[in-house]
Amino acid sequence: KQSKAYAKFAGAPLKVHKITNPWRSPTGILPALKTREEGSFSQPSKIIIQLRKQKYNADYDLSAKECADTLAFVSLLEEKLLPALIYTHWVDAKNYVDVTRRWYAENIPFPLNFLLPNRIHGRQLERLRLVRGDPTLEPGEQLEKELYHDALECMTLLSQRLGSQKFFFGDSPSSLDAYVFGHLAPLLKIKLPNGKLQQHLNSLDNLRQFCTNILVLYFPSESREAPAKKVSNHADGGDFDNEPHKRRNQILSVLFAVGAMLGYAFLSGIITIKHTPARLEEPHVDEEEEEED
Amino acid sequence: DSLLGEVLVVELNTAEPWPENATLYQPLREDQILLSDCASSLAVQAYLRMCGLPVRVCCRANAEYMSPSGKVPFIHVGNQVVSELGPIVQFTKAKGHSLSDGLDDVQRAEMKAYMELVNNMLLTAELYIQWCDDTTSSEITRPRYSSPYSWPLNHILAYQKQWEVRRKMNAIGWAGKTLEQVYEDVSQCCQALSQRLGTQPYFFNKQPTELDALVFGHLFTILTTRLTSDELSEKIKSYSNLLSFCRRIEQTYFEEQDRDVKITIKEKL
Repeated sequence: KQSKAYAKFAGAPLKVHKITNPWRSPTGILPALKTREEGSFSQPSKIIIQLRKQKYNADYDLSAKECADTLAFVSLLEEKLLPALIYTHWVDAKNYVDVTRRWYAENIPFPLNFLLPNRIHGRQLERLRLVRGDPTLEPGEQLEKELYHDALECMTLLSQRLGSQKFFFGDSPSSLDAYVFGHLAPLLKIKLPNGKLQQHLNSLDNLRQFCTNILVLYFPSESREAPAKKVSNHADGGDFDNEPHKRRNQILSVLFAVGAMLGYAFLSGIITIKHTPARLEEPHVDEEEEEED
Repeated sequence: DSLLGEVLVVELNTAEPWPENATLYQPLREDQILLSDCASSLAVQAYLRMCGLPVRVCCRANAEYMSPSGKVPFIHVGNQVVSELGPIVQFTKAKGHSLSDGLDDVQRAEMKAYMELVNNMLLTAELYIQWCDDTTSSEITRPRYSSPYSWPLNHILAYQKQWEVRRKMNAIGWAGKTLEQVYEDVSQCCQALSQRLGTQPYFFNKQPTELDALVFGHLFTILTTRLTSDELSEKIKSYSNLLSFCRRIEQTYFEEQDRDVKITIKEKL
């Protein structure tokens, strides 16, 4: 999620290869960033470090304190929000079966579509067990309550920190904005049967506005499709599930792609001027991405 | 376990004042306690001292097993047992003691984020160095961890714990890191803390909060613990404001308080 938006924000010349087969990724998992010089990377934070090394940096204007704040809030997101997000997409029984697994089954080549979702489901549950130190943990109300409590608190804290600003550090987006967007956007757009997290997010006006803002500004093609979806919903009179597969898959694939890698974009001007000479020599950066968390 | 624990604790304890005989339990100080546990314990002690809440420190070899969540330290207050800094902060808040009431929303969000940063990077790094670095694990960690027990239990417990921690490191993606990378992460974390602290006495200017207690617990412990190499403490020493921060808290809340207690005792005699 983070890397694509980061790249867009920073104006990095990235070729986005949308692939659905993680085995084709250079590192075996997605998302992955491949550069000519330094090989391949997979973790979003490492991808951002690599892009920065190549001088595409959207945090250029941040003060030292703001950079420190970024690291802190990223930790907050990873500790408090991410587990709940993973739970809601991959472990929660209803969500996993009705939405996530079904999407994979329809969009990924055989035989991966049978193997992969279950593998990820099992792995995420195992990971939750290890991190919480309880080998007998089962998906259920208790676990959900704890995870969601942390996630709701995290979202509220983000909302408080954002206040009435456009981005977290003023008028230009930074890597923190990318991280937050990457985590929250799928939550906003993908309708899940068990939607407690979505409800809370929708109740936080400034966060919701923040996400929509970025979607409209930096991913205009994708945000245009969302209204189309709504229109067809009314026309069909049906809900999300009754939509024709094609449109839903389009939107979901885009959202998962967006969700999988975000980065941040620098408003043009400063960074283009600084980097035009560099761009001539910099190796071309290939990025392959898909959703896999 | 934290959510239900918190709710239960809040409901049962709003009325009772802080008793004189509150006790904090941790593993044996000299031979057994590990870097990460020592840091967590010191953080809780610092927090309680900052709140002005007296607590007796009690060292027990089986503290980890006595704890309700399996983590140390834990405090025994009245007839309640609460473990780990987060729930303890909630617990004291329910009794009317809080260090972060004066913060506004933005500051509180920042405080929580920085506490997560410490947990995410510093604590995990400590665990990594203790259990995943073979040299440290065999020379320091396993002998210390198993010191209260006789053979063969000592080996079994130590290796079991090591296996547990390594699996967890694997699950969160730290297993593939080298020691150098972990030191680098610690450095980044310290840089962020140092930048945030700036020239202020505490993270939120004049008054300490639970964040100060947590940072102090970890930094002070790293600075004063002998490991296989000095590299970890050197990373912290390169930030002078962090050093003076630790010194300030040590002087204000540990040395002076203890001296005042001694004076009061002398006067009574």
